Amino acid sequence: MKLSTKQLTGLLSGIIGLIIPFFLNIEGLSEAGHVALGIFFLAAAFWMLEPFPIYATSVLVIFLQVILLSKEGFLFQSATDVYTPDSYTAFLGTLANPIIILFLGGFVLADAAVKYNLDKNLTRLLLKPFGTNPAFILLGLMVVTGLLSAFMSNTATTAMMMTVILPIIAQTNMKDPMRIGIALSIPFAANIGGIATPIGTPPNAVVIGALSQQGVNIPFGEWMILATPLVIIMLLFAWLLLLFMFKPSTKSIDLDMSGKFNKSRNALMLYGVFVITVLLWVTESFHGVKSAITALIPVVFLTLTGVVSKEDIRKLPWEVLWLVAGGISLGISMKSTGLAEWIVTSIDWSSFGTLMLILVFSAVAILMSNFLSNTVTATLLIPLAVSLATSGVAGEGFSLIIISLVIGVSASLAMMLPISTPPNAIAMSTGTLETRDMAKAGFVIGVMGIVLIVLYALFYWPLILN
Amino acid sequence: MEQQIYILIVEDELEVMDALVNDLEKFEDTFPIETANTSEEAKRVTEQIYGSGDEIGLILCDHVLPGENGVDFLISLKNDEKSVNSRKVLVTGQAGLEDTILAINNADLNYYIAKPWTREKLHDVVVDELTEYVIKQNYDPMKFMSVLDSIRLADVIRSGRITDR
Repeated sequence: MKLSTKQLTGLLSGIIGLIIPFFLNIEGLSEAGHVALGIFFLAAAFWMLEPFPIYATSVLVIFLQVILLSKEGFLFQSATDVYTPDSYTAFLGTLANPIIILFLGGFVLADAAVKYNLDKNLTRLLLKPFGTNPAFILLGLMVVTGLLSAFMSNTATTAMMMTVILPIIAQTNMKDPMRIGIALSIPFAANIGGIATPIGTPPNAVVIGALSQQGVNIPFGEWMILATPLVIIMLLFAWLLLLFMFKPSTKSIDLDMSGKFNKSRNALMLYGVFVITVLLWVTESFHGVKSAITALIPVVFLTLTGVVSKEDIRKLPWEVLWLVAGGISLGISMKSTGLAEWIVTSIDWSSFGTLMLILVFSAVAILMSNFLSNTVTATLLIPLAVSLATSGVAGEGFSLIIISLVIGVSASLAMMLPISTPPNAIAMSTGTLETRDMAKAGFVIGVMGIVLIVLYALFYWPLILN
Repeated sequence: MEQQIYILIVEDELEVMDALVNDLEKFEDTFPIETANTSEEAKRVTEQIYGSGDEIGLILCDHVLPGENGVDFLISLKNDEKSVNSRKVLVTGQAGLEDTILAINNADLNYYIAKPWTREKLHDVVVDELTEYVIKQNYDPMKFMSVLDSIRLADVIRSGRITDR
């Protein structure tokens, strides 16, 4: 394995970061807090500069916490008056955290949908009403992409939509700016659409996982009520922006909408399970069955019936689950060792108002996640926000849920660069657009995102939550 | 430097070679082209490519060559672990039925292009074969979407090769 300069920097600073706190004596921070700080440094360096795959770093984080911070580890076998070590099962347990199981259910559904072409056929069906006018086709593409990516991975949705738009792009005049608009519309809509449901994209899982550690449970439907209006407005805004920036010169577009829904026994079974699962998720607040429990329905029934095979299970994106679990697990010791609170109290927050805090967190999250993985961004920021809210240093009006949402949503609204998200990278790799097209449009989306998030955090979310 | 995937053309007639190289120009940025006039030269080129840690994605080979013929050359490649997965295309007007059968059965021939070819046909075959190659070798589909079959590559991503992060 050959490391680039960036990766080498990451590797070295991670290792140094892990070791240094052992030799320091920071006032106000417990001994265990020093260890946790080292692990945090290592995780941050590895996640940001990626000497190793980010999911591998996540497992390393779990491992280090178990051997260094748990009750069964080497250093803290009994409780002291400042630190009560968690059992190692707390760290390992993050791999089966309810939010992980919820994602597993989502993965199984999405995987089966791809296997039986439900995603493609739904797309054809849903695109039909949008006619042949380029502006409306663009809207249609974005609505369908947003909708699918709320339930499937943003990346898989983008890839699937590419198979729909590439033929359109191929038959459009090379000089028509619409080519760029269409190529950008898909990743943008997929990034935005992922915000809409808890299972839409991993940063949502990080937020929900962190909140549940604080004893706050956000039902599936409530997340949707909080997030969907923002998603709809962002989608509409992105649509108008792309229309304005890349005015179509063609008058009409022909879409090939041929294709039939698979009507085999297995496919029908999948459609049924899909509808039931989603309905139960959305209505969680009414019947009270937790979404993670509902998530077992597709896992159980699709495997019992053979709709999803052993090979399909092996192909699930397990590394995403590891990635999220590592993030949740890091939050455990940051809290229990007092590290998070120490970081928070070492800054004088009282000079910031609530508005300022929301603005700063949102802007920092968007900036970071333009360069880093969205999940890593959320993972690194959320412990700070949580302790800021729970320690009370930020004042009365500062709500735990709202600041967590701000971070989660912001992490998904970074789309300036090809490296910002895999959907962006896919669109870029088709060769129909240039980085500056993406950067310009992505920048405007990011700024609009910050404005909208601040408005929601000040007015809409408090309304729903109280 | 990153590992290169080469296109190897084996052809003894200069004019034909020129035409082939010309027609494949648009692939050259992504897949560097190497040429050889005889199968002996082709073996040397192959060794060189493997020696520098690179690989051959596609071999376009004439049948009638001075010395060892094209089909025998392709058969010899089959025994080389490194070229087992290389896509093998015979470009010829003169291979008899028997040689052709031999090539299909013993050299894992993937495609037979009859001379004279059209540029479009050649493009299609090269795109199909190289797409198949990068998918089978598990390469990052995104790297090749702008030159190869982007729809097929997108479908590979869709079925889970790349995930959210």
